[in-house]
Amino acid sequence: MTAAAELIGVTQRFGSFTAVDEIDLTVPSGQLTTLLGPSGCGKTTTLRMIAGYSAPTSGTIRIDGVDSTRTPPEKRNLGMVFQSYALFPHMTVADNVGYGLKLRKVPAAERRARVMETLELVGLAHLADRKPKKLSGGQQQRVALARAIAIRPKLLLLDEPLSNLDARLRVQMRAEIRRIQAETRLTVILVTHDQDEALEMSDEMVIMNEGRIVQQGSPQQVFPRPADRFVAEFLGYENFLTAADGTPLTIRPEHLRIAEHGQGLDAKVVDVAFRGVDLLVSLDVVDPSGATVRLRADVRGDTPLAPGSSVTVIAPDDHLVSLPR
Amino acid sequence: MKRPITAALAVIGYVIMIVPIIFVVATAFTAGSTLRFPPDGISLRWFDEALGYEPFIGAAISSLELAVLATALALLVGVPVTLAVHRGKLPGKGLVEGLFLSPLIVPELVVGLALFQQLMVGLDLDNFSTLLVGHTALMLPYAVRVTGASLALADPALEEAARGLGASPLRAFFNVTLPILRPGIFSAGLLSAVTSFNNVPLSLLLQGRDFRTMPVTMLDYVQQSYDPMVAAASTLVLAATVVIAVIAERTVGFAKIFGGINQ
Repeated sequence: MTAAAELIGVTQRFGSFTAVDEIDLTVPSGQLTTLLGPSGCGKTTTLRMIAGYSAPTSGTIRIDGVDSTRTPPEKRNLGMVFQSYALFPHMTVADNVGYGLKLRKVPAAERRARVMETLELVGLAHLADRKPKKLSGGQQQRVALARAIAIRPKLLLLDEPLSNLDARLRVQMRAEIRRIQAETRLTVILVTHDQDEALEMSDEMVIMNEGRIVQQGSPQQVFPRPADRFVAEFLGYENFLTAADGTPLTIRPEHLRIAEHGQGLDAKVVDVAFRGVDLLVSLDVVDPSGATVRLRADVRGDTPLAPGSSVTVIAPDDHLVSLPR
Repeated sequence: MKRPITAALAVIGYVIMIVPIIFVVATAFTAGSTLRFPPDGISLRWFDEALGYEPFIGAAISSLELAVLATALALLVGVPVTLAVHRGKLPGKGLVEGLFLSPLIVPELVVGLALFQQLMVGLDLDNFSTLLVGHTALMLPYAVRVTGASLALADPALEEAARGLGASPLRAFFNVTLPILRPGIFSAGLLSAVTSFNNVPLSLLLQGRDFRTMPVTMLDYVQQSYDPMVAAASTLVLAATVVIAVIAERTVGFAKIFGGINQ
């Protein structure tokens, strides 16, 4: 596996604020890597440093093995899709997509052919002569993608590309971006704060918090084994308890089971919320260390449970994740 | 109408603004020889007279020259300054912007007197050059504010997008930023040309024997004779101003232009 981009000890400070704190990151070639984290975690700053829009305070950025730390963006040959799409309003869709090729002095005939080919890839060839303002949000997004892809970039950088779309379109575009990535075999770096998006789209996910990388791996590696409490909470682990030896544990709500009696943890039902296919049950549970903790269990809707009743909660060992102390 | 008082005030406001203009326009079309309302019959004879009256024609051309040159200068200075204030890391941004907007607040008589003392008496500049400096200063707030308003609305990612696609900073500016600012600059230019053309205080203070602007010439004329020719001349100036205002409104919109000034 070759590295399309490498960050070595990269730090970015804005005044006294450290946005990115000495991160090391290797972006595998030909794959889709997501930078995932809450707002302010440094993911967009990291992307902007890779793109060349802001120079790191210290550290080295290599693109295709070449030190590009101080290379201006116009010399990097990377495709960037902005959150606002940043389509040139005074140019047609075709001129937007062809702008990078024009700067590269690609002859007009070849340029037109490549523009149409790229627009076909994103399914917008029929709108080539429109102005961006006349397009829907989803179509503008595709134009922005086409414009970035048309220059055959070394990396395709996507900054929260789906956050301005409505929920249904967002889910469609996830698959669409994956398809485009597979067809073009581009190395893609996608910044998002949406864990579902990252899980669904990533070959490799990089989770960031407070300017640091806290965990990196494939979704299959990361999801069942969050590295710490922050990652666990970010990925939707809601229940935190302590083992008899003091080790912090976590488990997802859908992995807790509730029985009327038997082997397990003693618990009292606090609240039951009906959610159609399942019930969300809040419980006060006596955990293995003897402390009482509030847990939530996601169970099938046919279990009769009354608030105040005593039950047994079963947390299967294979779903319990130990976290660092 | 839900708010009768506001509506009434609005109507009164419009009446106060528009009725005197209607009177001037109506009297310009009179067939008689006095400025009277209602006019005695209808004719175009006073328009004919106005267009044939040498001092008016000369003054209109002078005013036009001054307006065009002052506007061009104001844009040449104002647009780069605005870019520096909005996009650059200029120290004391607020101070610089305030300085360029100050001609809106400082009384024009004071500006005129200062220019008279420093440039005409002190440096011995001619009327035209002094007027050009004064008008340019007066036009700067339009250039700075309207460009600033367009710039504030433009997505800063646009220039970055152009850079990412391979454009040098200069190229990105000319290919992307400038075309986006063009309507704003265009309407700033129209507005400042109109303002310059119609300016009285500065032009009055800095007039000379060899260079006189249209409004000053009309003022002189009214002091001596009071015939409908001056109404006809006013009507022509009004018509030209309306045409320019409509163009400005169509290209950018007054809300944006004046919103920019008041913000």
